[in-house]
Amino acid sequence: MLGLFGTLNLAARSMQAQMTGVEVAGQNLANVNTTGYSRQRVQLATSPDVTTGIGPEGTGVTATGIQQVVSALLNSQVQSQQSTSGYWNGQQSALQSAQNGLDEFLNGSAAAASATSVTSDSSTGLAAQLNGLFSAFSAVATSPTSTTARQALIGQAQTLATTFNNVNTQLGALKTSLNSSLSDNVDSANKLLSGIATLNQQISAAEFNGGTANNLRDEREQDLENLSQLTNITTRTETNGTVDVSIGGQALVTGYKVSDTLQTYDAGGGQMLVQTATGGVPLTLTGGSMQGTIDARDGTLATLQKNVNTLAGTLITQVNAIHGGGYSLTGSSGANFFNGTDAATITVNAALAGNPNLIQTSGSATAAGDNSVALQLAQLGSTAQGALGNQTFNDNYDATVAALGDSLSTANTQVANQTAVAQMLTTQRSSISGVNVDEEMTNLLSFQRAYEASAKLVSTVDTLMGDTLAMKT
Amino acid sequence: MRVTANAFDSSLTSQLNVLTARQYALQSQVSSGLKVAAPSDDPAAMANTLDYQAQNAAQTQYSSNISTLLSRAGSVYNVLQSLQTITSRAGEIATTVGGATNQQSTLDNYANEVNHLISQVVTAANTKDPATGQYLFGGTASTTAPFTATTDASGNVTGVTYSGNSTVNQAQIGVGMTATADIPGANTGSTGAHGLITDSQSGADLVNHLIALRNNLSSGNTTAITATDSANLQKDQNNVAYQVANNGVVQSQLNVAATIATNRSASLNTMISNTSSADLVQTMMQLSQTQTAYQAALQSGAKIMQLSILNYIS
Repeated sequence: MLGLFGTLNLAARSMQAQMTGVEVAGQNLANVNTTGYSRQRVQLATSPDVTTGIGPEGTGVTATGIQQVVSALLNSQVQSQQSTSGYWNGQQSALQSAQNGLDEFLNGSAAAASATSVTSDSSTGLAAQLNGLFSAFSAVATSPTSTTARQALIGQAQTLATTFNNVNTQLGALKTSLNSSLSDNVDSANKLLSGIATLNQQISAAEFNGGTANNLRDEREQDLENLSQLTNITTRTETNGTVDVSIGGQALVTGYKVSDTLQTYDAGGGQMLVQTATGGVPLTLTGGSMQGTIDARDGTLATLQKNVNTLAGTLITQVNAIHGGGYSLTGSSGANFFNGTDAATITVNAALAGNPNLIQTSGSATAAGDNSVALQLAQLGSTAQGALGNQTFNDNYDATVAALGDSLSTANTQVANQTAVAQMLTTQRSSISGVNVDEEMTNLLSFQRAYEASAKLVSTVDTLMGDTLAMKT
Repeated sequence: MRVTANAFDSSLTSQLNVLTARQYALQSQVSSGLKVAAPSDDPAAMANTLDYQAQNAAQTQYSSNISTLLSRAGSVYNVLQSLQTITSRAGEIATTVGGATNQQSTLDNYANEVNHLISQVVTAANTKDPATGQYLFGGTASTTAPFTATTDASGNVTGVTYSGNSTVNQAQIGVGMTATADIPGANTGSTGAHGLITDSQSGADLVNHLIALRNNLSSGNTTAITATDSANLQKDQNNVAYQVANNGVVQSQLNVAATIATNRSASLNTMISNTSSADLVQTMMQLSQTQTAYQAALQSGAKIMQLSILNYIS
């Protein structure tokens, strides 16, 4: 038999247990909007019975622990998805910038849209400028001695050369920007690795005497997910609660320590890649925004830049080969029309730009009005070029634009898909670990009522004790 | 499935983001009239559109070239009309004096007239294209006067020197098609374009034939006029008639090419429109549907989010 004092203790323990329940519900409600927070549950158990003459008798309730409600499987899936999502986001961001740099957009107008059909026009990109160059050659071929036509040709050629220069500058700046972004990502990853090692230590210390460091585990899970966005990681949970992290087989966090960090290195020609800082081991990344950035830079963007340079180089070579054999209005010959070798260096020969009469359009030294060279230059636009895979200049450039568009379109689709997958996983995880305000409020009321009941028990026992003491007087 | 407050918020936000992005895309399509504005919108359609635009730019240039050639052909035709008049009159004079007995004074008058005709021919043969300032009949050596007359002490033309060539410029008027409106002043070869004044293929040599006529008129050699000059001048008349006919053919060819370029350009514009333009009716309907979905999501979200157990406990 517990007696009055035993019952009083029972009531006190019950009040403490219910109060813990109120506190946990309060913690859950307070963190309802905290990213990465997993709801917690107080674990209640009956206190050990005492043996009495009439059999075992309960001694009330006790709070045995506060449990975090999580799914390790879902956490693992989220990490994997974050890595994939980060990869495609990295690609999308890089390719979107490349598309902007290429500046090959179609223009339309609202006024035109009111008609049954509209005519789109791309007037700023390389495609329009290439068309303009060959049209200008054709105009000069039609009026070979016309100064106006020659000036228009020079103007068009300069615009084309400047457009090539701008595209090259934009793509070069993008490459630099992506390298910088890669470096920033490496810094962020190193901070996260350091944070995870620190949290490992704190979690291990907190759980040394039993229990679970719920909030610290949430924080570490969040760090692991953020790290997964940057790169693909492999994790292993140790018995002491710590999580080891490795990338590409290289251990980076072991227990409480950061065993190695990441750094970028130049693999040649400004191609920045990632390796371990201490071991100097190049890492093979297979996911995350870092690899997405690297793949976009070394894949689609490198091909794009190479194609634009090949296009410019072939144009320079072919135009100069024909132009060099012609004669100008002054009878001069042998001058280049374009200077330079690629998109970065292409310019119109300054001598021709200063005096359009020096453009060599004639095929005869004695007939300035001859247009055979100008006609060849005009026809160059519809001539398949071996250096461009037997495509014309325009067809080759159209294919380059389409290839970039295809890559970005794929990245856009993948990002949309990954967003949907992320939403699904988030919902799934939320269904297990998320805080439901209604549920917590209900729990709060439940604990409150239980607390009130226990308080009433104290009051009752107090009355009984008073009655007992009053018996003596 | 257990649904938490945050899961609901997150899902609603995600759905609203998707609907907003779709509205933005559709609104852009309506305002620009384009369903393909960037390469990533539809890579294949973008490549096709750029290809059509390149072809369209070429057609526009062909139209411009044709316009220039038609203008030049018109200038050439004006000269040919003058030469037709001159050759006709010279032939008339040769026929007139050849069939009758003429006093020398009459023949001298005719010789004087022929002298003027010779000067007119030289002037006509050195005509410039008003549009470009190039000499029309110098072949591709069009920057200098093609015919230089030599004169005697009396100022009579005794011969002409041709400093041009027999080559003519071709200009693009269509895909793989070129044309020329030019006529060389002289062609003494057996191939190539017929020369305007001197042409070995037709036997024309207008200036020299006129000089011979004038000289025979001056010397009273009507026999030579009948025997030789009349026949020679007939060759010149035939040559000019050939050039007039050829000019007509060229102008006709250019007009046909202009029509082809215009039609082709219209066709390409339609193809560009079909490839890259938005179907406004369909797009507006899609926009309307998306707006309805967006409003529904907002309304339902706002209603449900207002409710919680907190509304019912005190």
